[in-house]
Amino acid sequence: MAQQQAATPPALWDPLVRLSHWGLAAVVLANALVTEGGHAVHIWIGWTGMALLLIRLGWGLFGATEARFSAFPPNPWAALSHLADLVAGKPRTYASHNPAGAMMAYALWGTLAVVIGTGLWMAPISPLTAARQEAAVASGDWSTLVQTDEGAEGDKEGEEGIAKDIHELAANLMLVLAFLHVAGVIIESRSMRRNLVTPMLLGAKAEKQDV
Amino acid sequence: MTTPHLQTKTQGRRAAVLAAFLMVQSIAVVFFIGDVIAEVMEDPTGTQSLFEAFTAIALLSGVVFGTLSLRAALVRIRTQDAALATASGALADVIAAQFDDWALTPAERDVGFLALKGLDVAEIATLRKAAAGTVRAQLTRIYAKAGVSGRAQFAAYFVEDLLTAALPTAAVPLAHTGETQAHLASPRSSR
Repeated sequence: MAQQQAATPPALWDPLVRLSHWGLAAVVLANALVTEGGHAVHIWIGWTGMALLLIRLGWGLFGATEARFSAFPPNPWAALSHLADLVAGKPRTYASHNPAGAMMAYALWGTLAVVIGTGLWMAPISPLTAARQEAAVASGDWSTLVQTDEGAEGDKEGEEGIAKDIHELAANLMLVLAFLHVAGVIIESRSMRRNLVTPMLLGAKAEKQDV
Repeated sequence: MTTPHLQTKTQGRRAAVLAAFLMVQSIAVVFFIGDVIAEVMEDPTGTQSLFEAFTAIALLSGVVFGTLSLRAALVRIRTQDAALATASGALADVIAAQFDDWALTPAERDVGFLALKGLDVAEIATLRKAAAGTVRAQLTRIYAKAGVSGRAQFAAYFVEDLLTAALPTAAVPLAHTGETQAHLASPRSSR
């Protein structure tokens, strides 16, 4: 712990962290604010988000040191004490995300997983398969439209209602968390007199300051 | 100093390209695997679904190896940065040891370091809040203790240590040109 507190976060996050961060931000904004739920575009973007989330989580297990979960374990107490430090005006620095930022990252990923999971629940077929089946139907092969278990029709509808509610609730929570995340970055950057955004972009300004 | 820095910068750019490919690849893999799962559930024994499952595994292992090699590249970049830092730290250690050897006083050490960094007498005087005459006297004492004629020789003292390893390789071709030519000439004359 003592070592972690003495260290500073990287002047520039590794490229996979940066690309997945901005990719997921774009996916969330696009699907929450622009595309229409249930539409093909919405589903394509959702699947892209799932891929980005999966590779970021894989990178959290096997990736570069600061990007790994072990570098920023979820610790609510440390997060609270970091927020208390922040209020007192003397935040410490950490080798990876600060404990409060780490909790935010896990909250965002968890909420995103719920959004994606319920999305898959409602539309379990990949857009690629959907396109293939549409092509089959268009060419006269209607076999893909045959329902295998007809009795479950009513149940399925009720389930989808629940899935839809959770999907929308989690998506709204996602936007609230994203807003808090941006606010946290601004407050932290002000308080620490260090821009936290540039390490997530190109790190160009940080490098210039070094030289 | 700039060359190794630039080198890690280009390597960093290469790592970024690798990461970008990895992202695109993983997006493609997720779409493809989603399709394969649907197809296998429709017709588990079909040859096409078997072949597609095989392709999915191949794609997935591509992503896994890409991830591992990206990590290896990032570790290499970091090691080089650390080596560069160690090298500049080592030079400071060498200088400090040499100053010990010459038995410089703490004030003389400070002045000596600043002089090596390329500051002139006026600048050193302002930094140390001392008179220019004092700094000039301190420098003279440093040169006397080091046994060098002046500022240029004083700076060269440390640069020389760094260059000794490089000199022979530069000097060898010149020194041996005559010999090499003789070697080359002898088989020709024997023909």
